[in-house]
Amino acid sequence: MASFRAAEAPVALALALAVLPFATNDFVAYQVALYLVYGIATQGVALCWGRLGFLPLGHALFFGLGAYRFGGTLKAGQSDAGWCLLLPLAIVIPAMLAYAVARLVFARSLKSGPYFSLITLAMTMLGSLAAQQWSEITGGFNGMGNIPELPGTDRYTTLYWVIAVCAVATTAGLTLLFTRPLGVLWSAVAQNEDRLQLFGYATDRIKAGAYALSAMLAALAGALFSVHQGIVTPQALGFVLSTEFVIWAAVGGKRSALGALLGAVLVGYASAELRDRFATWEVFVGLMFIAVVRFLPDGVAGLARRRLLPPGGQAPSTAPAATASTEPVRLAFEGVRSSCAGVKILDGLDLSLQGPGIRSVIGPNGAGKTSAFNVMTGRLPLVGGRILLDGFDIGGMSAWRVARRGVGRKLQIPSVFPALTVQQNLQIALWAGRLHHVMAVRSAPHRWHSALLDELLRDFPDLERQREVEAGQLSQGQRQALEFVMTVLPEPRLVLLDEPCAGLSPAETHHMIGMIKVAVDRIGAAALLIEHDISAVAALGGEVIVLHQGRRLAQGSLVQMQADPAVRAVYAGGHK
Amino acid sequence: MTGIFTFEQVVCGYGDTMVVRGMGGKVAPGRVLGVLGRNGVGKTTLMRALAGFLPLSDGRVTWRGQDLAGVEPHRRLALGIAYAPQENVVFGELSVADNLWLHLPDRGRERYAQAFSAFPLLAQRLGQRAGSLSGGERKMLSFARTLGLTSALTLLDEPTEGVQPENIDRMAHLIRARCAAGASFIVVEQNLAFVEAIADEVLVLDHGEVVAQGALSILGREAIEVHLVV
Amino acid sequence: MDGALLHGLNIAYALATLALTTLGLAVVFGLLGVMNMAHGEFVMIGAYAVVTVQQWGLPIASAFPLAIAVCAALGYGVERWLIRPLYHRPFDTLLATWALAMLLRKLVEAVYGKGYRNVESSLGSPMQFAGIQYPLYRLALIGLAGALLVGLFFWYRRSAAGLRVRAMTGNPVLAQALGINTQRLASQAFVVGVVMAGTAGVLLAPLVRIEPGIGVDYLLNAFFVLVVGGLGTLGGLAGGVGVIGGTQAVISSVAGQTSGYAVVLVLSIVFLWLKPDGLFSRR
Repeated sequence: MASFRAAEAPVALALALAVLPFATNDFVAYQVALYLVYGIATQGVALCWGRLGFLPLGHALFFGLGAYRFGGTLKAGQSDAGWCLLLPLAIVIPAMLAYAVARLVFARSLKSGPYFSLITLAMTMLGSLAAQQWSEITGGFNGMGNIPELPGTDRYTTLYWVIAVCAVATTAGLTLLFTRPLGVLWSAVAQNEDRLQLFGYATDRIKAGAYALSAMLAALAGALFSVHQGIVTPQALGFVLSTEFVIWAAVGGKRSALGALLGAVLVGYASAELRDRFATWEVFVGLMFIAVVRFLPDGVAGLARRRLLPPGGQAPSTAPAATASTEPVRLAFEGVRSSCAGVKILDGLDLSLQGPGIRSVIGPNGAGKTSAFNVMTGRLPLVGGRILLDGFDIGGMSAWRVARRGVGRKLQIPSVFPALTVQQNLQIALWAGRLHHVMAVRSAPHRWHSALLDELLRDFPDLERQREVEAGQLSQGQRQALEFVMTVLPEPRLVLLDEPCAGLSPAETHHMIGMIKVAVDRIGAAALLIEHDISAVAALGGEVIVLHQGRRLAQGSLVQMQADPAVRAVYAGGHK
Repeated sequence: MTGIFTFEQVVCGYGDTMVVRGMGGKVAPGRVLGVLGRNGVGKTTLMRALAGFLPLSDGRVTWRGQDLAGVEPHRRLALGIAYAPQENVVFGELSVADNLWLHLPDRGRERYAQAFSAFPLLAQRLGQRAGSLSGGERKMLSFARTLGLTSALTLLDEPTEGVQPENIDRMAHLIRARCAAGASFIVVEQNLAFVEAIADEVLVLDHGEVVAQGALSILGREAIEVHLVV
Repeated sequence: MDGALLHGLNIAYALATLALTTLGLAVVFGLLGVMNMAHGEFVMIGAYAVVTVQQWGLPIASAFPLAIAVCAALGYGVERWLIRPLYHRPFDTLLATWALAMLLRKLVEAVYGKGYRNVESSLGSPMQFAGIQYPLYRLALIGLAGALLVGLFFWYRRSAAGLRVRAMTGNPVLAQALGINTQRLASQAFVVGVVMAGTAGVLLAPLVRIEPGIGVDYLLNAFFVLVVGGLGTLGGLAGGVGVIGGTQAVISSVAGQTSGYAVVLVLSIVFLWLKPDGLFSRR
């Protein structure tokens, strides 16, 4: 697979756009400029859909808002130049609206994606309805006409250069962002949002931020549209245009900023020329859309199969230290109850631990072992009782908030980011809790490492060797190892390990248990480990907690548990 | 119509993790095969594969000489195979009565005469929503329904989980009565005493493989228990 | 008095049309969990069936078999080749059915053109009764919607087929273990759902302006009803229709259509945010 630096695409684009008016003529340039404008909005759709995995079906709302506001402000500015100070608002206000809506919809549940799409569609319908009805402001059905030129430019000649520069800038900016830590996090959201939350990343905010950025792109495009066309009609807000953005992004390539732009230019331009000549052209476009959705998810750009390289060359640096407390960690479950769909899962669970060390959690099916972890990390509702971490009530807190309090969790089915490389997976874990705002867009965090990471990789040479391999290609054992390393990298105070040896051979199990002991000891954490494999529990030493029917049955050393008649009865059946 | 059920070298799992790694066994008419093991060893995965809900990566399952590969789960009942899963054992939204009769052409009560006399509470709560029953009561409902199918082969996954001891005894009686009529059973259980009461042969599983196998009387309790307890 | 009766009838009519056009999606999305973004296009196809039979000089009632046939055939194909491969991926289903919606719109545009059509019919004209002027056809629709809801309630709760559908949606593994062919049942339910949508389109055709883009409005309103009312129960459907339809009607008569739509949109966002299972969900 070829790879290229972030600068190639925008430079190629800049060259092509610079040559275009001279290779053709001013009229063609004027037409192409319109589709470049549409292309910028399409890049916004591609950002959300291709990178983050949620689909805005009503993006023309922000396009139209930007167009109407910018055009309206310019018109008002003709009589009173002071209005022109408000021009940036045309781009900022749609972004703020986008952020607010996305925060509300995504905060609720991880599965909001499809609902979000419908909400954006409804918003765009509302927008075009409002545009038609509030004719004093918008000019109603006929639109807002007589929009003046952008000061200093001429619509049919020099405006082209302004638009071309904007298109190159957005392409360059997006392509660059994709290579920065923020871009990696965006991809991670699409692949495994659940896992990302367990590292303490507030994914609803990440998504909302990206949506706001995409709305800004659409509004910028709308602003350029208003001066390019001189008139804005309610079509600029409608769902038809919104769907065209989606089609252009799909065909051009939703994972690539340049692809999305070219999709708009090529398909949009072709449609404009051909739709009047052939009645069935639009049907053809529809069929092409379905085909692309079903068979070619990355569009035409995906055919080129190239991967972006992060900027390289400089020396690695040490990650900032994780904030650590000197007090021993304390966890307490007090009478915890939880149920799901009417079934009692935890029925008055009492548990407490203090200080570092590994405790094993065992028990028969349905005892509530994984559920105890789930209720701690916000996956199961807390119906009764309390959970205290370091004296702080964490009951009902969302997963990422709990993670930020110093809880790391490894899931029952090894869960990583399959389309990212091992290296990128590790970096996401390393950045957890250490990546503060501005650092997310700098390239330095790509070269962070920590002493702990180096030590762990020494003992998992397979991972070290396969740093550039996509995590989805790893074997089961390697994925377990990777997820374990990722879980301890943020140096949490409390580590929850759910069947870390599931699916491993006896030799791999032995190795993993050794690594777990070393790592937990090294970061001085307390660990709770669920296991079925009794030989693994024996190798760990430490306390054993037996759960049964949602409650704690017994606690003590493994030898004590093996001798305890109540425990034996539960395992061999009989009295319940 | 009875028949022989066999499975040989069955390998299956989820994704690229093989949970069941080469298990084999056989049940003849009128016999009960017990499947024992701690949890996580692959008992439920094996049952899902035998019932047709999990595709086999390797191995064969046959019933009356016919290879069951490619036979969809909903067609197996007509072939004479009944299955009671380990979890989600009832239709929670429907009444107890609907749970018992929805799949049958008529609502005759003779079919459940034995079940109702063994578990009177089922007959008393016909109108109640099944989701409001306790875990053990749901298992009893599932058991009654499955036995009411009078299939030649019945696959039961942990039928006694959460059930009171005296009702467990009655379940054992009902199973042996059906065996006397020629039906065969494969029963997954963690309750050793129950398996001792009903099974003729056992398979003991650990780490996805069969670690002990044979007639219960020959193996003996000790040899089995060592694989079950902590 | 007359004014109040007229007002009440208008609201009842708005609720009835909402109920009729939501019914299909209540089956497909509420029961099967399939987010069919082309739902509105099936309604649109039903309306165009009426346009077509008029063009052929046939009576309006013959649009019913035409619409049912087209929607059933289309529904069967869509379920088989577009929906079934994507059953547990709601996002992909949404995208695929949105693409389908677009294709259907374009097809209809290519054949009938983009302009508005009207069905030539006297059904929509007012008649004198009870001291006011009101189209009898609208009254019939109101009655029909009510009767349908009641009938469906009994069918769903009591009939053998309804029982099997409820079993399948609640516990598909157990349903299969008891011999129910869930794949075929799901396919049949999907076809029934889109046929209901098409039939609603036929019923409404004499009363609305018909053009290829009317589907999206019906889709969104149906979606709002299901989000607010709750998926999978008839009580949810009725409740959702009442809340959404009622709110929209009341606000629109006071502050205009845009405000009515805006309030409904905000209401749906709030429900999604705070109570995503709706008022009367299956859980």
